[in-house]
Amino acid sequence: MRDVDAGHGDRGDVDTSKVRRSPGKVSIFRSLLSRAVLLRIFAGALVWLGLASEAARPQSDDESGARTKIMALENIWNYAEKAGNAAALSLILDDAMVYIDEDGSLLTKAQFLEHVKETSPQLQTLVTEAISAHVYGDTALVASTYRVSGVARGKAFQREGRFIDTWLLKNGTWSCVAAQATPVVR
Amino acid sequence: MRMWFLVLAMAGGSLHGEAQDTPQRRLIALEIAWNQAVQLRDGAAVEPLLGNELIYIDYDGTVMNKGQYMTSVRSSALHADQVTNESMKVQVYGVSAIVVGVYRERGTRHGKSYLHRERFVDTWLNRGGAWVCVASQSTLITH
Repeated sequence: MRDVDAGHGDRGDVDTSKVRRSPGKVSIFRSLLSRAVLLRIFAGALVWLGLASEAARPQSDDESGARTKIMALENIWNYAEKAGNAAALSLILDDAMVYIDEDGSLLTKAQFLEHVKETSPQLQTLVTEAISAHVYGDTALVASTYRVSGVARGKAFQREGRFIDTWLLKNGTWSCVAAQATPVVR
Repeated sequence: MRMWFLVLAMAGGSLHGEAQDTPQRRLIALEIAWNQAVQLRDGAAVEPLLGNELIYIDYDGTVMNKGQYMTSVRSSALHADQVTNESMKVQVYGVSAIVVGVYRERGTRHGKSYLHRERFVDTWLNRGGAWVCVASQSTLITH
């Protein structure tokens, strides 16, 4: 009962890809680096982020520092998702994470990671824009718009959507506990 | 009269005794109060439930701040005849909480009837003992 005044139209593209977003122009990056190397890079970045959190203030991160870390984690998410690197993605998602996909389906962490592996090869471009991060103590929210294009089952698709990710600082490490994608209807 | 449900929600578990006033129970009461207030287009009842920094993403991807959302709540273009909560799950993390749920809504918009089934995630913060929602997003269930 939250919908209010906006119009209701068709979804447009009905591709059921579970991939939400990732930056464009990463195909070269992907081709140069194996998944194993990517995982090491991501793991290193995460260790660095975790150590930085511990060194600064384990339980109540400085707001601007926290925002920087959250944005870095969002970038890691994008690269990992585009590369289909579920192992790297798993490191930044809370085990209890819930993911609401574009079709309204509710996915657990394991289900989401499985979909990432299945659908990442479909992606050609994916761009996030108008991203904003808001930190409230040990909780942070990231809101953004994404545009994605690719080919699924031989058919080209193009979509635009919006998401909110909710991050929590647990034992000095930020992890995502909830994420939701909503297609933009025009 | 319209405020009765909000008063009950704010009172939290008083109906069942103070010992049972858990954050989960209170947040579910606030969610129900929110739904009922929107159904009645009662902006005064909705307003205290929302943080000033609210980010609201509607089922069609429209992004609203608190002011825009409050305007839409008061709009006469929408009339919800029936709102049914199918499920709600609350996860509390200290002074923040996430509510994930599904609701079904039947009504008229600009004279045209509609029926939606949506899944939502609301993020709440506890500020000085009062829970306020700082983010809310809905997605149509189409699968």
